[in-house]
Amino acid sequence: MESQRRTANDVSAANRALSGVTDPVPLNGHRPAAMDAASFHAASQRILTSVNTVIDGKSDAAKLALTVLLAQGHLLLEDVPGVGKTLLAKTLARTIDCSVNRIQFTPDLLPSDVTGVSVYNQSSRLFEFRPGAVFANIVIGDEINRASAKTQSALLECMEEHQVTVDGTSYRLDEPFMVVATQNPIEMEGTYPLPEAQRDRFMARISMGYPDMAAEIEMLETHQAASPLAKVSAVVTSADVAAMITTVQQVYVSQAVKEYTVSVGRATRESPLLRLGASPRSMLQLLRAAKASAALDGRDFVLPDDVVLVAEAVLAHRIILDRKAASTGETPHSVLMGILSRLPIAAEGAGVGRSGAGRSAAAPVTGLGRNH
Amino acid sequence: MTLAPARSPGTGQRPGTYAERPATRPRVGAYPWAMAAAITVAVSGAALSLNGVLRGWGWYWAALTTVLVVSFTLAALRSLRAQPLLVTAGGFLSLGMILTLTFFRGSSIAGVIPTPGTLGDLDRLIRRASETVLSETAPVAPNVGIVMVICAVLGLAVILVDALALPLGMPAATGVGLLALLVVPAMIKPQSVGFWGFSATVAGYLMILACSQWFAPDARLQTDSARTPGQTRRAVLTGSIALAATLVVPLAIPGFDQGTFPQGSRLNPWGASTGLNPMITLGNSLRTPDGSGRITYATNASTPLYLRSVTVDHFDGDSWGPDDRDSSRLPMAGRIEPGYTVLADEQLRLVTAIDAGSFNSPYLPAPYAPESVRGLNGRWTWDPATLTIKGSESTTSRRQEYLVTSSVPKLTASVLARSSAPVQGIPDDFTRIPGNVPDIVRTTAGTVAGSAGTPYQKALVIQKYLRSAEFTYSLQSPVQGGYDGNGLSVLADFLEQKSGYCIHYASAMAVMARLEGIPSRIAVGYAPGRLTGATVTVTGQGALPEYEVDARDAHAWPELYFQGLGWVPFEPTPSRGVVPDYAIESAAPAAPNALENNQDLVPDATPAPAPVPSATPLPAPGGGGSTETGVPLLPWLLGAGAIMGIVLLLAAPRLVRTGIRARRLRSQDRGAAVPLGWRELLDLGTDYGLPPGASETPRAYSARLRDALLGDPDGLDRDAHRAALSLTADYERHNYGRPPLPVPGTLAENGGAPSAKANESTVATRITAVELSLRANAPLLRRLQAAWIPPSITGRLGRLLAAPFAAAGKFAVRTAKAAAHSWPVASRPGARDGVQQ
Repeated sequence: MESQRRTANDVSAANRALSGVTDPVPLNGHRPAAMDAASFHAASQRILTSVNTVIDGKSDAAKLALTVLLAQGHLLLEDVPGVGKTLLAKTLARTIDCSVNRIQFTPDLLPSDVTGVSVYNQSSRLFEFRPGAVFANIVIGDEINRASAKTQSALLECMEEHQVTVDGTSYRLDEPFMVVATQNPIEMEGTYPLPEAQRDRFMARISMGYPDMAAEIEMLETHQAASPLAKVSAVVTSADVAAMITTVQQVYVSQAVKEYTVSVGRATRESPLLRLGASPRSMLQLLRAAKASAALDGRDFVLPDDVVLVAEAVLAHRIILDRKAASTGETPHSVLMGILSRLPIAAEGAGVGRSGAGRSAAAPVTGLGRNH
Repeated sequence: MTLAPARSPGTGQRPGTYAERPATRPRVGAYPWAMAAAITVAVSGAALSLNGVLRGWGWYWAALTTVLVVSFTLAALRSLRAQPLLVTAGGFLSLGMILTLTFFRGSSIAGVIPTPGTLGDLDRLIRRASETVLSETAPVAPNVGIVMVICAVLGLAVILVDALALPLGMPAATGVGLLALLVVPAMIKPQSVGFWGFSATVAGYLMILACSQWFAPDARLQTDSARTPGQTRRAVLTGSIALAATLVVPLAIPGFDQGTFPQGSRLNPWGASTGLNPMITLGNSLRTPDGSGRITYATNASTPLYLRSVTVDHFDGDSWGPDDRDSSRLPMAGRIEPGYTVLADEQLRLVTAIDAGSFNSPYLPAPYAPESVRGLNGRWTWDPATLTIKGSESTTSRRQEYLVTSSVPKLTASVLARSSAPVQGIPDDFTRIPGNVPDIVRTTAGTVAGSAGTPYQKALVIQKYLRSAEFTYSLQSPVQGGYDGNGLSVLADFLEQKSGYCIHYASAMAVMARLEGIPSRIAVGYAPGRLTGATVTVTGQGALPEYEVDARDAHAWPELYFQGLGWVPFEPTPSRGVVPDYAIESAAPAAPNALENNQDLVPDATPAPAPVPSATPLPAPGGGGSTETGVPLLPWLLGAGAIMGIVLLLAAPRLVRTGIRARRLRSQDRGAAVPLGWRELLDLGTDYGLPPGASETPRAYSARLRDALLGDPDGLDRDAHRAALSLTADYERHNYGRPPLPVPGTLAENGGAPSAKANESTVATRITAVELSLRANAPLLRRLQAAWIPPSITGRLGRLLAAPFAAAGKFAVRTAKAAAHSWPVASRPGARDGVQQ
């Protein structure tokens, strides 16, 4: 009974935390007007079409990248070299009419290269701030694991707080702000892999994977002469993106979906296969991503399907396998899939079972409703 | 025990999933007890009406005990909140135990636990009951076998009624279970159900309905408008099933529309046919107001003939029936030779042309003693001892037209008086005195005939005694006195009451004759009939007058054996038939003129219109039914009731499923239509073999359903696909979408929420579309399964079945965990902590 009560409190606490999600954080103090459904759909279609002309056979990855953008998260692209990580990041950046910076991370890159530096101006005899590469709407961080931990940390602070602090002065970053980092899982020698805590800042991690045969042939045909990137032009403005983000924030999340989201997180924490489960922050990001996914699907409410859809991308890079599980061949992917396939979907607090067919709807009772 | 605390913490955080079980379970309170009382009243009330099917009231206490024990066991289990299936199982268990305690105390452990010996006893009792059922006529003596069967049936009825009323939530349908009980007396007893039985049953039924109205959780949560039409429809459904059962049962059981049971024949809705198994149904035939089973015959005899169909030779046992004597029967070929010698001086040879018409019996009616029968169709056999003619296999007398040549010795009083030689050459069957002859029969026989000298005189005084003014002919008094039927105990009652009809007189004379040393048997057939006025031309005989007999002329009379003369019929029944000349005790026996008087008739018993006034039935007292629903045939209707019950049980899954669907689709609740439609879709999918997984989202399930069970999305099944898609989308919006407030969703696909009415109808049409497509795309077996044993219902039962085990398992897990927690050092730091260190 003791454990039961604690469970209930945890759930309600988590719910309070999640309810902050539905009350969107204002962007830079002002909130752009939300977009209506039709223009949202049109805009998202334009972006996706544009990205898909450049990257063949990776529409899922493209959609997920857009999801992360609209959910105000940051994206970690992790895969072997040459599968189009950077291309995806660049294409996405180009399709949006906004400032894009690219940082190639190297071991000798300094934090000030990222954030900017105060330089002494001889004429004005004042230190003036030279913004670093991070001052852009979309920042592409290539091979982020090649930079030193200090430099990584500088970027990560920006990612989390959307601001840069240099010499005691804070500079706000533009909105929308999104970091798309790529990371190479092989050839790890001399690199500084992102620690778990920092990986947690990325909303989602996508493995590009190899294209299928048809897509690869298509790529060989179309991309021989010139870089396809050259043909990409912006299809939406940054104001459009801001409006889309507002729309996503207004997507409705029902109690059942919140419960489901929380139960996914709790299941990862309780799984014996995992050493580290998903953090509460990841729950927040999971739900945000689900909202963006729902909006991209043309809905104004989140389904458990949305949560399931983005769960792997959002959670897989945050959880750490137990050593025993890892040695038996489990992967974060397989563990997550196992959890999702076992986790029951709440049936709207309804009386399935018994003989009463009509009674539940008249008096829907959920456990959480009682506990509050 | 509720499920919630037993759930492991892993799923315990999501109480919404199955929270409705503990949460909405109503307080049990007095409901089970009130319902048990109502069921007890109803079932034991219905049992009241079985008095008259069973003789007396001695059996009723056993029945009442059974009903009480079973129904209150159910109530007790229910008030302990046992799982519904457990409750029903407990009902069966208590039924078994009370039956063991009542009937097999000797062979069981502690009176209630059966042993292999009990099974042997059970087998014996069941055989006894089936003998009773097959051979006796109501009211039967309440022997232990039939009482046990009745108790078992009543106990099962309690369980059935209880199951219908509570777990299945169809209180109105309990009427069928009660009706199945009432059908038995209604069809068997002349008084029909009887006032008290009927009133008590109806009172109990109303109590059941009232209880479910007052207490049932269903009734409380549903809107009134939704419930009332549901009950109407259920009532209509129940009624039509009962009707269908009455039509189906006669088809299923061979004895019902053919053969020898007039009661069975009456159930045949497709035409009249009558038969005569006289011992069983004679009283019934006599009470029939319309003359069915008309037989016409033309004869050259100057006296009206008795047509004899069958004889009863064995007077042992509780009730008598014709003996087939199949072992001694010979195939019909040429002459029929009696198995005894007739040394009469003069033989009377008669020719009779008989048209059996619709009379349907394996035994052929023929005048005694047949020498040859011509013109028969089918295979016939005859028995040398009794000279009865019987069709073998399925040959019956129906539509037979035949010519019987018969011969009887010319009998006169003097001839009979001279026949005092000791009886020889007669099978033991006709002389054996049953062991259990009641004292009153012995003493009466001794008083009446003890002093008479020759067998003929003995016969005469017995007949005279029975025809005396002390005895009255009545078809009704045996029914009212509870001794309708036959058998030695009936005979004792008859001799006390001195009122009865031919079967009683005939058996009384036959038994008393045997007691006095005269071989005897009871002949059953037809008393002389009426002239029709027509004539029939028979080859070699010219035109012969035609007579007719029908069911009202059914008759029984004793035949006594006299050495050298053969079997001689007597007529002890007052006001029926014709007393033969030789059987009239004259002041001067063997008077010379009597020798020539053989053909003369008793003046007041002319053949034409047979005296039937006393045979017209009187209105049965207290009976709701008409009197033509006659006496016997307990067994068939017991069987009918059982079969109705079985049919109901077999149809129960379908009924429940249909009821659930109707209730869902009819729901008036604004918000309820969509989720109910969704649940119906889930159940439809389950029925067609695709149950939803617990972790499956509505969208995923819908996709799987459309993929696996619906056909081509672009072809014929496009509508079904669309319907399923819209059901899913509506449900998702209902379940996960913004609550229906005036704020329209920014991304809403369709405008506002449609009105409730539109919702409801579209949900119903969509479900119909999906179901049509499911049915069209499913293989035959799957279709049948979905229609008759829908997995959505049986699965529910299965879950109930598994629930105790699951609960036990969870309990074990919890206990183990609690033990681990209380273990101080070893298990307190969990494995995970260890890893993190």
